[in-house]
Order: sequence, then C-alpha cells, then structure tokens
Amino acid sequence: MEVTFKLNGEMVTCPVTQKLTLMRLLRDDLKLTGTKNGCEHGDCGACSVIVDGKLEKSCIYPARNLDGKEVLTIEGVSNPDGTPGDLQQAFLDAGATQCGYCTPGMIMAGEALLLQNNNPTRQDIREAISENLCRCTGYQQIVDAIQATAKSRLNGGAK
Amino acid sequence: MSEKLQYVGNPNSKAADGIEKVLGAAKYVGDMTLPDMLYAKLLTSPVPHARIVELDIKPALAVEGVKAVITADDFVDHGFFGWPVKDMYVLAYQKVRYVGDPIAVVAAESEAAAAAGVAAIKLKLEELPVVSDMHKALDPHAALVPLEPQIGDGNLLVTHVVRNGDPEPILAECDVVVDESYNFQAQEHGYIETEGVFAIPEPGGTVVVFANDQSPHINRDNAAGMLGLPAEAVRVIQPPVGGSFGGKDDHVYQFTGQAAKLALITGRPVRLVLSREESLATSYKRAAAHAHLKIGMSKDGVIRAAKTEYLADSGAYASQTPLSAWRASMHLAGAYRYEAATVDTKAVYTNNGYAGAFRGFGNTQAAAASEVAIDELAARIGMDPIEFRLKNCLRTGDKAFTGNTIDHEAGLAQCLEWVRDQSGWADKRKTLGFKSGDDVLKGIGVACYFHGSGLGGEGTDYARITLTVERDHSVTLQSGLTDYGQGSRTVFTLIAAETLGVTPERIIMLRPDTDTALETGPTVASRASIVGGNATKVTAGKLIQKLNMAAADLLGCSLEQITRHGEDFIGPNEEPLAIEAVIDHAFAMGLQMSSQGYWQIPVIHWDFEKGTGTPYYTYSFGAQVAQVEVVKATGKIQVTGVWASHDGGKIIFPKGAHGQLMGGITQGLGYALTEGFSYKDGYPQKKNLKDYHLPTSLDVPEMETHFVETNLAEGPFGAKNLAEPVMIAIAPAIANAVFHATTVRCRDFPISADWLKAQLA
Repeated sequence: MEVTFKLNGEMVTCPVTQKLTLMRLLRDDLKLTGTKNGCEHGDCGACSVIVDGKLEKSCIYPARNLDGKEVLTIEGVSNPDGTPGDLQQAFLDAGATQCGYCTPGMIMAGEALLLQNNNPTRQDIREAISENLCRCTGYQQIVDAIQATAKSRLNGGAK
Repeated sequence: MSEKLQYVGNPNSKAADGIEKVLGAAKYVGDMTLPDMLYAKLLTSPVPHARIVELDIKPALAVEGVKAVITADDFVDHGFFGWPVKDMYVLAYQKVRYVGDPIAVVAAESEAAAAAGVAAIKLKLEELPVVSDMHKALDPHAALVPLEPQIGDGNLLVTHVVRNGDPEPILAECDVVVDESYNFQAQEHGYIETEGVFAIPEPGGTVVVFANDQSPHINRDNAAGMLGLPAEAVRVIQPPVGGSFGGKDDHVYQFTGQAAKLALITGRPVRLVLSREESLATSYKRAAAHAHLKIGMSKDGVIRAAKTEYLADSGAYASQTPLSAWRASMHLAGAYRYEAATVDTKAVYTNNGYAGAFRGFGNTQAAAASEVAIDELAARIGMDPIEFRLKNCLRTGDKAFTGNTIDHEAGLAQCLEWVRDQSGWADKRKTLGFKSGDDVLKGIGVACYFHGSGLGGEGTDYARITLTVERDHSVTLQSGLTDYGQGSRTVFTLIAAETLGVTPERIIMLRPDTDTALETGPTVASRASIVGGNATKVTAGKLIQKLNMAAADLLGCSLEQITRHGEDFIGPNEEPLAIEAVIDHAFAMGLQMSSQGYWQIPVIHWDFEKGTGTPYYTYSFGAQVAQVEVVKATGKIQVTGVWASHDGGKIIFPKGAHGQLMGGITQGLGYALTEGFSYKDGYPQKKNLKDYHLPTSLDVPEMETHFVETNLAEGPFGAKNLAEPVMIAIAPAIANAVFHATTVRCRDFPISADWLKAQLA
C-alpha cells in the first residue's frame, strides 16, 4: 500500500502497512525525529502534529489514512532559513522549554489553536493544550508563549 | 553583592540549549540511529516474588533476526552493583523481586524480532510469598525479599535517628498535643521521555554509550565493573534528557550495562528504549511512606517538643532510599523551633517495585506530614495558620530541631509574609471556609518548608569544571554535572559569561562525556547550581588571568593596568582591544588556553549513630498558599490559586527559576491529588498514563511566584538551591486548604476524591 500526501509543504509518497502509524512513518521511515514518542497510546501528546489544519496525535493516527492529506510537523514550523518561527521564538522568550521533550508537540498544539482562533483567552489556550502533558514547566510559561504569539500575529507580526 | 551583574540575575537571559529544542532538532536517545543498529527488548518479571527455576535463552536465539540474548550470567559477579547499598543485579539473579524486574535482554534486527525473541525465552518461576505491606515487612514470618539480610535479620534496610534532648517529659506537660499518622503512596516521576540507552562498539573492545542518565561518571563505573573492563573502556555521553527529576539513574545503569554487553557481543550498535508500560513497571518511584508525629505546644501557641517516627517502603531494592530516608529524618519535625525533638526512622524491603531518588528526596513526605500537623496545632487553639507559623518558624540564628544552628540568613518569615499579603489571605480566611449549605466548598491553606542544601551528610559535595578558549574565539565549558531540564547548562553559561566578561553566546557547553569531562560527583540534591556554579566561577577566574596576560603583552602594560569594557580589554592608553585579538595573541604566545577549577561545599559532620550534629551547611526556605474548591457531590478538588515564595538566595537564571517553581508546584499538586502509584499484593495498579494521571494544563491554576533573595556568601553570586524544595509545600498547602473548605483533615496522600466525598456526605 502507498500513500501520497503533502508533508511540510512538499508532496511525498510512502509505502505503508495496515498497522503503521503516522508517528512511526515520520520518525522511523522519514527520519523526522522532532515529533516525539512519549507513550504510543495517545495519552501524552508528545507526538502531536497537524493534519489538514487539525491537531492529531500521530502515534494513533493510521498512516494509511494520509492519502491526499496535508501534514505539518515541528520541522515545518521554522522559518525557511532554519531560524525559529514566531511561536518557537516565543517559547524561548517565555522560558517555556525545560527538558524540551514535550516542546514540539506543545508548539503544534499552539499552532493548531491559532489556526482556528486568532485571539484565544488563557483558558482557551489551556483547553487547547490540555491533552499535551508537560512534566517540567507547570504550563504557565507555555500559555504565556502562545498568548504572546497570538497578540503579535493580531498586530501584524510575522506568521 | 556589590558587583554590577550583566547576565547573572538578568530577567531576559534565555535557556542556553533552547533553540534546538524548539526547532525539534535536539537529538534524544530514541532519536539516534545508525546503519546496522540492533533493537533491544527486555524480558521482565510478571510476578512480584519468585525463584528463577529455569531461564533458557536457546529458543530465543533460534528466532529469525535475533542476534544475542543476555542474562545475569553474562556479567562479572552476575552484574552485582548498587550504591550506597550493593543489592542489585544488572539482570535478575536467582530471584525476581518485583513486577517489572528485568530478567533477560534480546537484541535483534527489528523491534518485532526482538519482541518475538523475548516471547520465545523459556522462563520457569516458582512463586514465593509476597511482602507488600511495609508495616508487615519486619514480621518474623515475613518472606525475605533480598538474597541476604542487609542489616540484622529480615527485611530491615536502614535505620536513622535524631536525638535532640528528651521530648517525653515536655510532651507530658504540654497543653496541646497532636498525635497523628500520615500516609503517602509511591509517586512516579512521569518524565515524558522514557529511559533509553544507545551503545556503540568500538575497535579494541571498548564501547560508547549514549544514556539519558543523571550521573554519567557513576554510570560508567558501574557498567565497566559489571563488564569487567577498566573504566576508560566505557565512554558514557549524555544527550539531551527529556526529564528526570531524580528518576533516571539506577535502572538506566542496568540498561547501560545490558546494551553495552549486547554491543560488545554482536559488534553492532544496540538501542534500548523503554515503552511507557515498561517504564512505569520497571522504574523506581518516590518511596511510599508512613509518618507518625507527636508534637506538643503551650496553650498560647509556642511549639515545644516533637517525638516522631518514619517508615519508608524501599520496595525490592535499596537504591537511594537509605539516603532519602535520612533526608526525611532531618526534616520530619519541620522548620520550627523546638526545646527537644527525636526521630526514629526505618526503611524496609518489600516486593512493591522499588523506591529511589525523586525531587524532594524524603522531604516531600516529611514536609507534608509536619505541615499538616502544624496546621492541626494552629486549628486546635484557633490561631491563624500563618500567624502560628510566623510565631514558631526558624529565623537566622535559631536552632533547627536537629540541634544545629541556622547560621546563614534565613528568609522563611519573609516568604510567609509575601504569600500572606499577595494571596489576600486575611480576607479569604474570613470570606471562604466551610459553609454547610454550599455545593462547592472553598478554602485557602498554607504550608512552608526548609530544605538542607546539597548532599549534606550523604557525601562529599564537590564539582570540577573545565573552560577552554578555542581558536574560533568561543569558550567551551565541560562538566560531568548534567542538565535534564532543570537549567544547569544555562546557569553555568551565565556564570562563566559573567566572570569572563564575555557574552553568553560565546560560551558553548559541551555534552557531558566521561572521556573529556572531569569526575564531578552525581547531579542530584539540587546541588549543581551551587557546586558547579562555584567551580565555574573559580575556573573562569583562572582563565581570565591568561587572557589578561595576553592583553598586557599585546598592550605593553602591566596586568594591573588592564580594565574591561564589555568584551574589550582596555590598557593605559584607553584604546579598546577586541577579545578576538587578545585570544589570537594568547595562542601566538603559546599559552595553554584551558583551565580547570574545583569547589567543595564546606565540610559538616553528622553522627549517624548518635543522631546529633550538623546535617547541612545551610538551608533554603519557602512558603506556598493554595486556594481550592471542593465539589461536595463528588469530592473532587480543584486548585484555583497558588502563591509561592522561595528563599533561594541570588537567582541566577530568573526565567528558569520561575519555571522550576511552577513545575515543582505542578508535580506537588499531582502528588496531593491524583498521583498514587499503588500496589496490591505486589502488583502495580497503574499501567500507563491513562491510569496514572499527571496534572494537565486544566488541573493547574495561574500561579504567582516570587523569590526572597537572601545572601549566602558561599553560593556563586549568593545563590542557594532551588529545584527540589519548591515542590514540597504544595501538597500540605492543598490539604490545609481542603480543611479550611470542608473541616475534613486529610492525612493520606494523594487525597482520594471518593474518600473526601464520603467524609462530606
């Protein structure tokens, strides 16, 4: 079985099996290891990516369903020159990263929220990241980073 | 401090290793691959206690794709190791002692082949009686958990005492005595990255291991010992670590020995990364514990004496429980003045998983017990809980209950005052509080703490750092002290930049590597910032001398005439000389542009036999207030506000320090409400992160955090320890807030919603 989909802006075609998950496809086959494996049961959110504009846990997303879809991972969020995108920079500025293992998934959760709601409240942000576990930060600086990015984008800051 | 600081304490300083993490480019163990790599998988014990009757690996070797299978027999002395108590094996030997105890490891061409190999191993176990209740571990007829008794007979692992006067006659004449027991379930560390090692064989029979451990040098020495190799033949490198909190040492040492052995046997790279289920079953936990506190006071609210006992469940192995039980003992009566106090502590073996290091290291349980007890005392005489604490708490020059004097500036009272004023305490104590007709009950509560700095009586507390100026004008920093998210890379970078007078961007901290970093002791006990920070400062001071020599030579002036402006060196003619020119000239002069520095915490002495002495050279302090809502119909507790103040001396990396505070509080909130890792007849009751509930963004309120910056002359720029103590006050603060909301006193942690609902019915 083969699927063809858009990955971080580029069309790719990959062989897949019935049981292959998107996370395994990304990490093992395509060597995009920014998407993290935390539990492989959809309980922690470390593997979060965006599929057709929606936040998905890639560890429970069947790769065979990818045909014709558009996938965005942490590797597709940075600027073309490889520097951090605005939300990534906001994570740095807010001190929202400690061990860094939940960070890619958190950033994807933040991006997914901002696609749907360009002016979220702090409670909106907390709900949007509520299936992404972070054991280091206590979440507050992550909420700060997403909120700051929302404000900056509303004020015409770079997306 | 009179120095004007540019980078240390600057609120805009950023994490030194943040960019690769936000880009998703940081390579953790599980992200590493090499051509020809083999996948390793564990066979672990399905039962809590059994004799290994048969362990036949031949059927596994016959499975297609399986390249090697190892057991304890493949190691020197069956891979016997452990510190401070040697009682573990790299793989189970003769017996299995808990559900999850590793028995054998298979290396194969694919994960599927490795799993098939594990399934093919012929394992025959003869089940033994299970010891699951720590209170019954010392019964004369209890089954013996270790292969040999550790001390005396049976399952006793360690005892500790504190003897400061005789509390009995004082308690007899006290007007009010609280005499209660407090119980704590085990807690899982919950790092989002599971344990992993990646071993690569080298020509000549040596091996390189990437391991997500905390203490690479100790890991190297253990692995070399069990492999029968000199220490230099095993090189341990620490990649970025996805959280640890004390939790990635002993069993990661096992995995390191296992993967290294498999790599040496097969001549191929071997990666062993645990699944979440394997991690939860196999990893050590915070010890389940029982504390019994008898504390007496006069009717006007002056605390007088305490007689206390502590029992810790170490589970199947000792790991760090002997030391964490000691730290619990040194804090069990809390941060208050006493006329007399005693502690009697025991730790025992059972077949419940095993317990080891976890943030707070015994004081998490000790502070929770004593802070609820102190609240009970205040309630008995109707005194405001913060007023009661301010009346009795330790201040500079007071004696701790262990009998030693608090020599350094103590900021506990300031912390209590800040959380009181900031939380609106006085008003909320009146307007909130139990109202029988309400469906949602609201309350506010407080707890405070002291926490001994560094290892204290646990061991020699030192660090070594190497700083090297490179030809590209960067400065590399090497240390065996590690960063698993707590920010020590940034702390060292800022201190080196400050002391050398260069920008933090110029400092590159290399990955901890036992081949190149000097032996530095373990990265534990919130000690890295103090010992590593001081060692960095010492080393930078030496290196700057060399740069000054080059500048003086280039400028034709004396060393004393050199001044600095930013990174520039200025001579007597006031012409600025760029640091690049100075570095180039230093190399041209043939100067060795590398320096090493050592720093050790002042030596203190605790007499373990007599239970007297000075357990720590200094303490950090703090106070936290929690506001809660309890739904009467369900017993569910929602924390709606947190105010936290910590006396950590000078704060070096403010953004990171606030993050440590809030992250610690969140772990403590989980400890208070949902995170019980319990066992039934030795079987763990939580298998994955669906069962074991870590706090989410919706469980944690917005927090207000604050630092009281007292000065500690011995700390680097006046810094004290931070990462651990900030997690320990929130659980009792929540319990005390629940009491204010409901009049129900919670003495068992985590606080069960079902239990609370029953109390409210």
